[in-house]
Amino acid sequence: MTDTRMLDQGTTPIRFARGWHCLGLASDFADGKPHAIHGFGTKLVVWQGANGELNVLDGYCRHMGGDLTQGEVKGDHIGCPFHDWRWGGDGKCKEIPYARRVPLRARTQRYETVVRNGQLLIWNDPEGSAADHDILPPELPDVMSDKYTPWSWHTKEINGSHCRELIDNVADMAHFYYVHFAFPTSFRNIFDGHTATQFMESKGRPDTMGGGYGDENSTLKSVATYYGPSYMINWLEVDYKGFVTEVILINCHIPTGPDSFLLQYGITVKKPEGLDEKTCAYIAERYTESFGDGFLQDVAIWENKVAVQNPLLCEEDGPVYQLRRWYEQFYVDVADIAPEMTDRFEFEVDTTKANEYWHAEVAENLAKRAAAEAAAPADA
Amino acid sequence: MASFVPTSEETLEDLRHYTEDRLVDVACLDCLARVRVKKNSDHQTSVQWSAEARSACQEFVRRDQRPGGRDVHKPCTRLMASIDDAVRAGDVPVGAYDGY
Repeated sequence: MTDTRMLDQGTTPIRFARGWHCLGLASDFADGKPHAIHGFGTKLVVWQGANGELNVLDGYCRHMGGDLTQGEVKGDHIGCPFHDWRWGGDGKCKEIPYARRVPLRARTQRYETVVRNGQLLIWNDPEGSAADHDILPPELPDVMSDKYTPWSWHTKEINGSHCRELIDNVADMAHFYYVHFAFPTSFRNIFDGHTATQFMESKGRPDTMGGGYGDENSTLKSVATYYGPSYMINWLEVDYKGFVTEVILINCHIPTGPDSFLLQYGITVKKPEGLDEKTCAYIAERYTESFGDGFLQDVAIWENKVAVQNPLLCEEDGPVYQLRRWYEQFYVDVADIAPEMTDRFEFEVDTTKANEYWHAEVAENLAKRAAAEAAAPADA
Repeated sequence: MASFVPTSEETLEDLRHYTEDRLVDVACLDCLARVRVKKNSDHQTSVQWSAEARSACQEFVRRDQRPGGRDVHKPCTRLMASIDDAVRAGDVPVGAYDGY
């Protein structure tokens, strides 16, 4: 027997989460060509038919395994490059140009699709249930109108980490100081049903160059809600020297394998009144850049850490165990969802002591920097 | 069917510590909701609801009838006031035990 604490790395799930997953901007798939998206341990084919519908199927033809993403859109259907079997968005083979009839069993894996806020969402369920439209993310008023800048959309492949690492951030107060260089001054979580929300207010650190969460001149009010396992809407109010900008950040992902996922994020900015289009576009690009940098700060941690099934917590930490209990509901059969996975849970983090220590540390860093700068001319 | 599987019994004990230990019953002063509360410090509060309490809260019933959006997830102010009352009355101990 020893007092040494052991890391329990656990085992990762062998299935992918049930729920709505975003594949990207709908407009990016609307060119009449097949598109390949890696997801759920396979490759998916996405295409828009002549009727304007967006369709998503498993990317491999049930005939001889041809790659449908390298095929051709023919009318409403996708034709396989190997033998031109034509598949419809309902998952049925519609035509085999060289055959008298189509085998009755010619059905492939299809995914129900919805376009929401300009993005293509698909329903994944290992149990094969019909899509649940009641738990779609909400529509965002005025987004996609001329009141907001167009979505600036980006993707990033993450290898060697399960996507739960990304979810853990919802409850992680202190990493905003160490990884994103901001003081979180207020931090709350609410998990309820299929949603998990983080409320945060933060201020940039004056001793670092900032990043997604700004410098000492900016304060940020953030409300971020996961609607299901993979799609987060983050409403942000950024106050920079009294100039307030409203930003909406979508943070979503598709699991690609047991320990890999494709991170996607999109940004739209409410156009401040009195500014011309060019300036609005410039502001949107700067925010896109800084939040993109923020994700890269997280990625650097994920790429080097190990999985931990038994995190050890201090009093200032957020409710990671309750968050993971919530996340578990998407990985079990519907019949096995326990009440505590969906029961409402609220948590307010005490940020007072942490901020006292952090302000002292930052003051020390600034003093060291000032001393180094004062000494520099003498060395030169 | 299990998904993220711990490899140690102690992990299950940690899970119990962090999610169940020291939760104290608090009744709302305005409705029939009863929740479980823990306070690790003056500024830290955990509130564990049950489905029964969630449906008893009149504030949530009213909010659930409104269309979804960013404001539907806020706490119930009446319950928060009831918890503050219970803390003042000494019914909810304040303090953490080794981080939980």
